[in-house]
Amino acid sequence: MFIDVGCYQLKKYNQNAFGDDFVSKREKSGKILAVLSDGLGSGIKANILSTMTSTMLLKFMQRDVPIREAAEIMMNSLPICQVRKISYATFSGVDVDAEGQVRVVEEGNPSFVWIKDNQLQEPEFSQISSPSFPDRHLNIYEFKALLGDRLIFCSDGVTQAGMGEKDYPLGWTRENMIEFVLKTVQNEPSIASADLAKKIVERALKCEKNEQAQDDISCAVMFFRQPRKALVFTGPPYEKQKDAEYSRQLAMFNGKKAICGGTTANLVSRELKKTVITEANANMGTLPPVSYMEGIDLVTEGILTLTRALEYLEQGRLKVSDAAGVLVDFLLSSDQIEFMVGAMLNQAHYDPALPIEIEIRRNIIKKMQKVLENKYYKSVTIHYV
Amino acid sequence: MKKVKLQVCNGTTCFVMGGADMQNMVDQLMVKFKDCLEIERVRCLNACSLSDNFAKAPYANIDGQLVGNANFQTITKIIEEKLSND
Repeated sequence: MFIDVGCYQLKKYNQNAFGDDFVSKREKSGKILAVLSDGLGSGIKANILSTMTSTMLLKFMQRDVPIREAAEIMMNSLPICQVRKISYATFSGVDVDAEGQVRVVEEGNPSFVWIKDNQLQEPEFSQISSPSFPDRHLNIYEFKALLGDRLIFCSDGVTQAGMGEKDYPLGWTRENMIEFVLKTVQNEPSIASADLAKKIVERALKCEKNEQAQDDISCAVMFFRQPRKALVFTGPPYEKQKDAEYSRQLAMFNGKKAICGGTTANLVSRELKKTVITEANANMGTLPPVSYMEGIDLVTEGILTLTRALEYLEQGRLKVSDAAGVLVDFLLSSDQIEFMVGAMLNQAHYDPALPIEIEIRRNIIKKMQKVLENKYYKSVTIHYV
Repeated sequence: MKKVKLQVCNGTTCFVMGGADMQNMVDQLMVKFKDCLEIERVRCLNACSLSDNFAKAPYANIDGQLVGNANFQTITKIIEEKLSND
């Protein structure tokens, strides 16, 4: 079972910083931790409050600090607003282990939504109060999620969207959001978490006057599903006599397959006796175009394409149509990504006479692992061959 | 009618050493030689990995002949020679 985590956020209209913050961490044990926090007010001030809260709670959860103690420390640490004389950031923290055992702690955010078999679930919870802030209560849920379940977390920017408008005197409301989610999931049963989160946020925005967000709007989704696996083979293996072995591994892989590298494509082509085809009039852009090989989903050039794809991932540019954009699409439509990185260096790439500096493949892949894990919540493994 | 086969390298070294302009060159060659020329883009000709050869990237292969410093002029000249030897 794989937990697909996705988030989508909008800033309050005319603000230059997000007042909500979402963080998620996939531990080596397979455990997933995530926190959505909504800071008091909007803009930079809210951003500081929410970021401090989410970062602290994530760290506390990583270290198994009791939640009451963690909440006290967080509430006491936040800077106090000069206007309101209080410090405040609501939060929802979730901790899921590899078996699907879920623990949620909520303070102030709209209650999360648990969908199973396209039905809303109503899990029991216990409540604890803060000794130093008696009006602040923590709701704690513990339950087991199974394959196909979804958890949806949102800030009040979603449920209160459009509040005061003629059609939405009470805002969009949690009930309407649930109805929208059930309908969306029914139409698209395998919709990815990032896509569902985006749909929810965009629907909430439609409730706002002139579609201008009157608050920060954030939504995070967790989807328990069978992992979509992908293997990326890049760079020729260090020992040439193992070309055949690794090519076979690629061919036998149970999932989507990509080759990034001309020499790598050639060796796989030779070993598997499959032709690599690049269309003569393929659109190049500023990168070599993609190629095709029977049984392989994507073939691209290596270093330049990987470097550009890394840039797109870091900058969140996800809809570019060049070869790097296609690679980004390939990666983001997978959950568990394995990089098989050949350790052989092409000396020509490191000739000082080259007009651009080319980074070493393993460094690019390491950076790519980091961004895929931290920003896109993917599970990434690298092995060098 | 004699036909010449041209393979253009799309490898990293060739691409950064001038291969990025290949699209333009391929288009011009197609117009110039029409049916006398068969163009294939290849992932990598592996020419740059031969020692000290990378200074001559970008590479092309014309009917089995490896050509360094490939550009419109050098390639046109070789294709014309091959066609006139017919």
